[in-house]
Amino acid sequence: MSATATAATATAPGDAVAWSGPISFIRETLLLTGRSLRAIPRVPERLLDVTIQPIMFILLFLYVFGAAIPVHGISYKDYMFPGIIGQSLAFGLIGTGTATSNDMREGVIDRFRSMPVGRLSIITGQVLGQMCEQLLGIAIVVGLGLILGWDPHLDASRALELAGLILLGMLAFTWCGVLFGMLVRSPDAVQGAGFTVIFPLSFMAGTFVPIARMALIPRTIAQWDPISALVATVRGLTAPTYHTGGSWLLDHPELAMVLWCLLLLGVCVPLAVRRFNRTLAT
Amino acid sequence: MNDFPTTGLAVDAEGLTKRFGDFIAVDALDLQVRTGTVVSLLGPNGAGKTTIVRMLATLLAPDAGHIRVCGHDVVREAAAVRRSISLTGQFAALDPNLTTRENLVLMARLRGRRRAAAAAVSDALIERFDCAPFRDRPIKQLSGGERRRVDLAAGLIDRPQLLVLDEPTTGLDPRSRQIVWGTIRELVADGVTLLLTTQYLEEADALADLVVLIDHGREIAAGTPAELKTQVGQQRIEIVAADADSFERLYEALAPEFELTRLRERRTLSIPAPDEVADLARVSGAVAVSGVAVDELALRRPTLDDAFIALTGGLPQAESEAGEPALHRADVAA
Repeated sequence: MSATATAATATAPGDAVAWSGPISFIRETLLLTGRSLRAIPRVPERLLDVTIQPIMFILLFLYVFGAAIPVHGISYKDYMFPGIIGQSLAFGLIGTGTATSNDMREGVIDRFRSMPVGRLSIITGQVLGQMCEQLLGIAIVVGLGLILGWDPHLDASRALELAGLILLGMLAFTWCGVLFGMLVRSPDAVQGAGFTVIFPLSFMAGTFVPIARMALIPRTIAQWDPISALVATVRGLTAPTYHTGGSWLLDHPELAMVLWCLLLLGVCVPLAVRRFNRTLAT
Repeated sequence: MNDFPTTGLAVDAEGLTKRFGDFIAVDALDLQVRTGTVVSLLGPNGAGKTTIVRMLATLLAPDAGHIRVCGHDVVREAAAVRRSISLTGQFAALDPNLTTRENLVLMARLRGRRRAAAAAVSDALIERFDCAPFRDRPIKQLSGGERRRVDLAAGLIDRPQLLVLDEPTTGLDPRSRQIVWGTIRELVADGVTLLLTTQYLEEADALADLVVLIDHGREIAAGTPAELKTQVGQQRIEIVAADADSFERLYEALAPEFELTRLRERRTLSIPAPDEVADLARVSGAVAVSGVAVDELALRRPTLDDAFIALTGGLPQAESEAGEPALHRADVAA
């Protein structure tokens, strides 16, 4: 993390080093990511969303509802775990939004903004910190799945592909969450609005129940929902014999998911940066 | 990069204006802070002080006017301004989950120091601001006064050309306020240029070379504390009543004969005394005749309090446009 002396172009008074542009961006981002990570063990309740909640859903759907949900061709475990992973990524949006909204109300962000620190570094630090929290959640889901007998049918190259796609999805949803957290004033409002929109969408997305047998309206939404693309992508890689289908998006889940993520990033990154440069509080 | 003293002005604002919808928070304000001086923006809540500070710290763009801070334009040269100033906002600008030391080290590293140099400067600041007892406690567990000290320390990691403190003692108990004042005085003795906002007259009086009275986003008066006091004019006699009841009785007894200003919150009657000791004799005679219990009766030079009340419209000689007197309710009996 500490760069070498060659990276420094000049020495400012008081031992401060004038780091050159890109190095200064990386350095500041890592420092600010570290700031977010240190909060994790000190505010453990923030982790509940990414730990206890998916575990509860896993247990509920595996042992309570699952037996009543018919899935053709693969076991319910192989059907559900990709769904839980997709849903966790979607819920990450709400967690990120809440954390961002909270953070923006703290004076510390104003201090960073009044310091010679790149404004993009402040946001990317936030994004990376949130992604680390979510990775912890995904690791717990995957670990628990393997213990409970989920078989992800992965070889090395597909595992790598899966990891890359999960990271891309997480990145897109996290940026979305950061923007959302900046636009909505209070963390409670973020929670409220997040759950009204994301909660149903994430359940419709072929997460726990096949899309094909849903009523017309939810089925149509689900056929184009980015969360469906995420779930179908993970399922396509871990249960290759299962094919969701029903719309262009579900026939080409990986491509659709990548396009969705690029679209979300293309919209959310510039908007979040612009929003951050404007007033946040009066 | 840091050569600005050509003008000798750490802050030079002209026609500074900021609106929030229909509300004009700052109204065509001119403000100058000379290098090496302490200027206090004094005004009630909502006067526009924090908006001014946020504009000059590059956190908010002005709608009209120009501000140069340490020779740099805040809009066009924001990065250079951020390198020259240090802002300590109204609420502790620290990460609540990090400890005192972690906060300082983080800020020092963000200001470009390597790990070892950041640790060294943090430890020196912890020493200097007496933060050692809580150096390893998370900020959220500290008292208001302790947070303020860490806050001030964080503002001084790089010796800023301009230090901006937004209401540094608001919400502190008197003891913590004294400690913070002591710290600020030390900084000033070191020659730091300081812009300070406050709603406390005594704070401006105690710390500032120049006081700018702000109300409704405009400058109402500016000058040294002594000049502002002189502007209010002559000496006054102040009588502090023993309790609320004697305050009222005293008012009724003296009202026919004297020009009284009532400062009800302090149970104080204030009377102009152009003839000084002769007036004192007349007033004390009248008080003795009334037989009302009095805690204190004294001839006073005007305080900044008087200046503020006078200049924000609390007294008849002030401009009538200034709306309600903001800090103390002062009823005027002619």
